[in-house]
Amino acid sequence: MKTIKIPFGPQHPALEEPINFIFEVEEERVVNVKLRLGYIHRGIEKLAENRTYHQNVYLVERICGICSFAHTTCYTQAVEELLGIDIPERAKFIRTITAEMERVQNHYLWLGFTAKEAGFETLFMYTWRDRETILEVLETISGKRVNYGMNTIGGIRRDISDTMTEQIEDKLNHLENRSKYYKKICTKEQTILKRTVGVGILKPHDALSLCAVGPTLRASNIPRDVRADEPYAAYGEIPFKVITYKRHDVASRILVRIDETLESINIIRYALKNMPKGPIRVKVPQRVPKGEAVSRVEAPRGEDIYYLKSDGSDKPVRLKVRAPTLANLPSLCKMLIDVNIADIPVVIAGIDPCIACAERIMLVDTKTKKRWIWSGDELRRYACEWYRK
Amino acid sequence: MVPEITAILEVFLFPGFFFLFFLAFFIEWLDRKLVAKFQNRYGPLHVGPKGILQPVADFIKLLSKEDIKPAMADRVPFVAMPLLLLTLAMTPLFCIPITSSYALISFEGDLIVVMFLMTLIALLLFIGAWVSTNRFSTIGGVRAGLQMFGYEIPLNIAMIGPAIGAGSLSISEIVKWQSHGLWFILTQPLGFAILSICLLAHLQRVPFDIPEAETEIVSGWLVEFSGKKLALIRLARNFKLILAASLMASLYMGGPSGLWQPNPLTYFIKLVICVFILSNLRALFARYRIDQFLAGVWRYLTPLALLQISIIQVLTW
Repeated sequence: MKTIKIPFGPQHPALEEPINFIFEVEEERVVNVKLRLGYIHRGIEKLAENRTYHQNVYLVERICGICSFAHTTCYTQAVEELLGIDIPERAKFIRTITAEMERVQNHYLWLGFTAKEAGFETLFMYTWRDRETILEVLETISGKRVNYGMNTIGGIRRDISDTMTEQIEDKLNHLENRSKYYKKICTKEQTILKRTVGVGILKPHDALSLCAVGPTLRASNIPRDVRADEPYAAYGEIPFKVITYKRHDVASRILVRIDETLESINIIRYALKNMPKGPIRVKVPQRVPKGEAVSRVEAPRGEDIYYLKSDGSDKPVRLKVRAPTLANLPSLCKMLIDVNIADIPVVIAGIDPCIACAERIMLVDTKTKKRWIWSGDELRRYACEWYRK
Repeated sequence: MVPEITAILEVFLFPGFFFLFFLAFFIEWLDRKLVAKFQNRYGPLHVGPKGILQPVADFIKLLSKEDIKPAMADRVPFVAMPLLLLTLAMTPLFCIPITSSYALISFEGDLIVVMFLMTLIALLLFIGAWVSTNRFSTIGGVRAGLQMFGYEIPLNIAMIGPAIGAGSLSISEIVKWQSHGLWFILTQPLGFAILSICLLAHLQRVPFDIPEAETEIVSGWLVEFSGKKLALIRLARNFKLILAASLMASLYMGGPSGLWQPNPLTYFIKLVICVFILSNLRALFARYRIDQFLAGVWRYLTPLALLQISIIQVLTW
């Protein structure tokens, strides 16, 4: 049987960000996938080496527009570990609350996006309308809708007052009802089930061997969650369930995320009720002692890992970011094999890709194995010459 | 002299070309506004009162845009396709009774002509996709062809049902039969449901917008059409929507006849109701896959349509 190669991306309406897939297709079935990254590299890791630790909080916040809080939490935890300080209890609780709110808004956004990929525009409009509720809550506590600017090294910048708590409670009730409603839709509505059940299968042993993370891994029935396995912030003191589903397909990825929003709402409620009084941040020195630190955070899309190396000055020597999408890309290639062409967008959307977070560049000559480093200007010159050809 | 002038006015003003153009823009606005309401949006808002002139503005905007022909496209059919599509979408509307029980063109067997023209539209989409030589439009065209194989038979059977009931193959006769009898929607509800579903597939609307699935194949067969051609194609699509709603109204709901004498207002109200049904269905579902659509149509719709026909046969016999 002869296969046909179909390019998908880097420009495609189903993709929010540029990434290129080349599908080898046999009739309507995908038999092989080749993935190409590198269209949207931003050089944030290098930038971080030229800025002070405090400036970097705002830089890492801009790695991802949607899970910005997870990135700053991860970064500040690493710096706090190097400094050897323990942040106040209240700050830990507020970090937890904000992180869970971010999870809720991310999952709502994702649900709408996936519905749109499956051609269900109405669900897209509904979820994005309801997402406004949680964005309003985030605006009340932080003053912003995305890139909240809540985290700082040594704690958080804004406190949650009692009047805010009351407002949040109302909106959480509304969101809980909506989540239950969406769960009902996604388990009952025939057209959604037709497009998602049995599509993009990722078996548990594949998920483990390909290092899948986050909801993608939990939808393959593996209960792994940094919040539970290695509690950070206030997660150790808050009871919550790790959601898993057994079907390993896009439908279970949808249900995992909807159930996680419900669980997040419970976490926020518990945290608001049991939040201790006290200061919200401690004063920290400018210079960070020499050493290395690794920090892990469960971002809405999966596990975020930061590696930070310090030489005792006020600027980091190395900041390495492993965003969840990068970990999920190998398993995405596995999922895409043997799906129908029409299901490709739904399966890609299923891992909640955020390509810009995953982009890194390494310049290697494949023949001589030589590596080198280019400045931004050199890279630009190379690109101009390449396109002139 | 007077009958000739009336005839000319009928063809050009009411219920002919001018009225149909007006109706096309109105129906597009209505459809967009209804779907927006179902999806909790505003819809068109700024041009004219409640955005009612937005479709006209869109049409003029598209007309003024640059006309691009792909270098590899087959020029003559590529240019002719939108014009043909508009003509084919508009012609059957003259067979629909609007003002009285009789349409502008009515003869025994005009229902068959309407069916034939509707099939030609689907074929034309395939040809348009093929000559534009784009990868996505080729896939879209093939999907459009496949989709036609699926929905055409139940659609035609559902349109024949009222014809058997009324004992005539003329739409006007079917409308006239209903004006002093029961509406067919009451005696053949199953046929009406099948007709609505098949018309959704014919109009390529959600859940059957498979040939132009935007997130999968970048609006499929019409990806290469731009500027004036796209304007004409969009207008043709509005005519297709009017035709679909009019067929539902005429064949199953008695067209312009109602409590009083047959009048255009009754027709118009029924048209709006049918557009409401089609828009509502459009807002309710996710998109099917082409194989799921074909399997569903052949497994359920076609047998159900045949069942409906057999019931009518038994009852009339």
